[in-house]
Amino acid sequence: MGPVELLHMSVFSQSFSPCGRFLAAGNNYGEIGVFSLSAALSPDATALSQKPVLTFTAHEGPVFSLLSTDCHLLSAGNGEISAWSWSELIKKNVKAVWTKRPNYKSSLEIPEINAMTMNPRDNSLVVGGGDNNVHILDLEHGTFKSVLQGHSDYIHCVSVREREGEILSGGEDGAVRMWDSRTGRSVHCIEVHKYESCARPQVGKWISCLTTDSDWMLCGGGPSLSLWHLRSLSPTSVFPLSGCQRQAAFHQDMILAVGEGPFVSHCLLGGEVKAQIPCTPQSLNTLQLNTNSTEHRVLTAAGSSDHIDVFTNLSYRAFSLSF
Amino acid sequence: MSDALKKRKAKVLRNEGGTPEMMKRGRGEGDPQDVRVYSEEVELDGRDPEQDYLQYKESCESLATLMSEIQDLKANGAKEGCAEVEQRRMQSCIHFMNLKKLNRLAHMRLKRGRDQTHEAKQRVDVLHLQLQNLLYEVLHLQKEISKCLEFKSKHEEIDLVSEDEFYQEAPSEISRPHHTKNDPHQLTLARLDWELEQRKRLAEKYKESQATKEKIQKSIEVKKEHLTSLQPGLNAIMQASLPVQQYLSMPFEQAQKQTEIARHLPPPLYVLFVQANAYGQACDKNLCVSISGDVDEAKALSKPPEDSQDDESDSDAEEEQEKTKRRRPTTGGQLDDKRREMLKRHPLSLCLDLKCKDGSILHLFFYYLMNLNIMTVKTKVSTATDLNAAISAGDLLKADTLLSCLYTNDQGRETPNPANRYQFDKVGIVCFADYLEELGHPYTWVQTLGGLHFPRDASEAVRVGNSLSASQMESTMKLLRGRVQSRLALHKQFASLEHSIIPVSSECQHLFPAKIMSRLARWTTITQEEYMALPYTRHVSDAGLAKETDLYFMAVVERGTARLQSAVVLSPRYPEISPLFSLCLSWKGERSGRTDDNLRAMESEVNVFKNELQGPRPGHQLLTNQISRLCVCLDVYLETERQDDGVEGPREFPREKMCLRTVRGPNRLKPFKYNHPQGFFSHR
Repeated sequence: MGPVELLHMSVFSQSFSPCGRFLAAGNNYGEIGVFSLSAALSPDATALSQKPVLTFTAHEGPVFSLLSTDCHLLSAGNGEISAWSWSELIKKNVKAVWTKRPNYKSSLEIPEINAMTMNPRDNSLVVGGGDNNVHILDLEHGTFKSVLQGHSDYIHCVSVREREGEILSGGEDGAVRMWDSRTGRSVHCIEVHKYESCARPQVGKWISCLTTDSDWMLCGGGPSLSLWHLRSLSPTSVFPLSGCQRQAAFHQDMILAVGEGPFVSHCLLGGEVKAQIPCTPQSLNTLQLNTNSTEHRVLTAAGSSDHIDVFTNLSYRAFSLSF
Repeated sequence: MSDALKKRKAKVLRNEGGTPEMMKRGRGEGDPQDVRVYSEEVELDGRDPEQDYLQYKESCESLATLMSEIQDLKANGAKEGCAEVEQRRMQSCIHFMNLKKLNRLAHMRLKRGRDQTHEAKQRVDVLHLQLQNLLYEVLHLQKEISKCLEFKSKHEEIDLVSEDEFYQEAPSEISRPHHTKNDPHQLTLARLDWELEQRKRLAEKYKESQATKEKIQKSIEVKKEHLTSLQPGLNAIMQASLPVQQYLSMPFEQAQKQTEIARHLPPPLYVLFVQANAYGQACDKNLCVSISGDVDEAKALSKPPEDSQDDESDSDAEEEQEKTKRRRPTTGGQLDDKRREMLKRHPLSLCLDLKCKDGSILHLFFYYLMNLNIMTVKTKVSTATDLNAAISAGDLLKADTLLSCLYTNDQGRETPNPANRYQFDKVGIVCFADYLEELGHPYTWVQTLGGLHFPRDASEAVRVGNSLSASQMESTMKLLRGRVQSRLALHKQFASLEHSIIPVSSECQHLFPAKIMSRLARWTTITQEEYMALPYTRHVSDAGLAKETDLYFMAVVERGTARLQSAVVLSPRYPEISPLFSLCLSWKGERSGRTDDNLRAMESEVNVFKNELQGPRPGHQLLTNQISRLCVCLDVYLETERQDDGVEGPREFPREKMCLRTVRGPNRLKPFKYNHPQGFFSHR
């Protein structure tokens, strides 16, 4: 990879290994880089330990989504999902365990896959992407068992409410749809841009980030990032963040969000922005907290750069991993 | 019972040990003391120590019983001085006396033992000394023996003929077979005799040969004189044949003259001359080599045996003197002279003319700096057609930058010879770059072509002279020619770019849609400082991709109210290293490739996916294709931009391009990729 390619690299997705010692990151060239956190965090870390221990081309198009199960790394490329065994990846053996494609109707352009999430209740994978539909892949049998149709434009993000058996999806059409995971019916549809408190018509109406935690939901994108109470289906607080937010996460009593702009925003549930911590990339696509290992408990954020910023402490950037 | 037994024992003891009483008496009397003592010593001999020990034990035991009896009696209330006690006291006294005697005896025995031991020890010491002496004598004798054994005679170094050969060749009066067959000593003597005989004979032969050699030499000299007398006649013939040669257009004479002059070239230029000539004859008919400069001066320079060593040491001494005397006013002028002397180049120089297919010629002038031992080059391009002056193309064919970075990082600004650093320090030259204008550029490849090698890395395979020059000749000539052609192509392209026309050749038509609305508005050259000052090029300079040797340009593409500025870095190694674009769009506010993902995607469309834009080899159309691609991308960007529902009125940029989807992926990229035969735009 030459210097020009590195200059134009974007990192779209990240996932920590089940043991918490490795981080996989997918970029716009279809490559997945595996970084060793234990090497980068050790006291005698050198510049070399901030480079990937393994880089391989996983898909043709960009890798928009990565997800780790108990033993596999799932990666989504242009219209296909591949599974890689973590134990083999650590040994630097690169061979996909399986590759699956959802059934797409259109043929001119292969729709991309923008988001994946696990539904542990029935061991299935919820996949949302460019064909406006949510596909559900049964991981037990390896087949696509249902398709949730309803969005009128492509899907940016999906989320699962495990206890209620609900699937949420947010898309370019500006709607957050809630689906009953058993029947596959659309239960609710919130059109966020129609709520005056969070709408930003000058930016757009798409929903590009969506997270849930029991009865609470975070969503944002074209509209401002806002916290919703799901039982009453009403926004409780709106965060005054400029630019479109691409990923948000609940962390203890805080909300962490990234998007346009070179910083990680720390927000309080009440609606105030507590801090904006500067990062290397000019805009950020992804944010991950490593909860799999207590000794490598870090926050990583990446975006329009070949650098992945690592925060050992939430209040400042410790160092950067780079492709 | 036990009581009775003890009494008896005690009595026995008393009878036996009569001597203590005698001792007492003896001491009292005094005079016959000696006799007594002797008798005690005699007695000592008669006594058995074992017996004495038993006696000692017995008396101790009976003492103990007596004591306990006394205690018992006293405990039972016997009065002080009562008969039984008194009797026992007496008995114990006797026992004590006995013990005393035994003690004395023991002491005497010990003393005697000691004496005896001492005596024996002395005897042993004497014997040991004798033994040592004998051993030393033995060692000495052994040494003598080994010395004798190791004795080397001089004759052993002489390489004698083998025994068999000796018997065969030597006459019998020397070999004397019946004497020598059984006696190796005689044999050796005989062989040595034979050797002497032979050597004498050979020495005689040597003298003879020397004499014949001299004779032959004399005859050779005579013949040589005869040959030299032929020279003028031959010259006359040559002179006469010149018109014929010219008439038949056979440039033997000229080639010969050149080789004649070439003899006076300094070694590096000579290597280059020979190699370039060879390469030109073998592979490249369009390469022409000629020598220019003052031949006489070169002759004068090459004739006297160089005693520059002395000169240098002299100047050193002078310099030191100057320093000590501190004669400041003259030093400046002297330093100037010295500088000039140091930077002096050889009077002869080499000119390589490289003709390109289109008729343009690259002239390379190679010089050799004698005192620095490096080569430099100056360049000039002469074109077949008159180039119309494009302002932005000013730097393209400038001699200063034309050959910069022919090989990676070879800027030719610093001298490649590490030794020069010290020479410069001596005469106060700060930087060689100050003299480039006058002397030419000392590129590394020039040194290589001249067979000069200045190792930087120990690992480099060291080759010098002709083989080094030959190894790089072909690749360098190809690079030189490619460089000139790419510069000429750029020159032409710039001329039309300045008139806002993007030349797209027919081979590249398929890369772009037929209708492009965005137009190139301006193409200008900018300086590196200006480039660095732009806010949207920070990431390029941070990544170390904007170098001092690069050329910088600004292209402005416009459509309607939108104005796209793109700062371009053009590497001197173009098209091998592709130009790098950084974008900034002013339309409804200012956005740049650093902040807007779509502009970033446009940048990567021209910078990363450049291979599609290369065009026919060797890719001279890359830059213009990149600019047209930029125009197309701007069209797509503007046409697919979301219409704000709140604003009434027609769109400024109606959708004309065919797109499958306007946005895709998490960062909502626009479709910038053009699919040729179908003519629609899709995502990467």
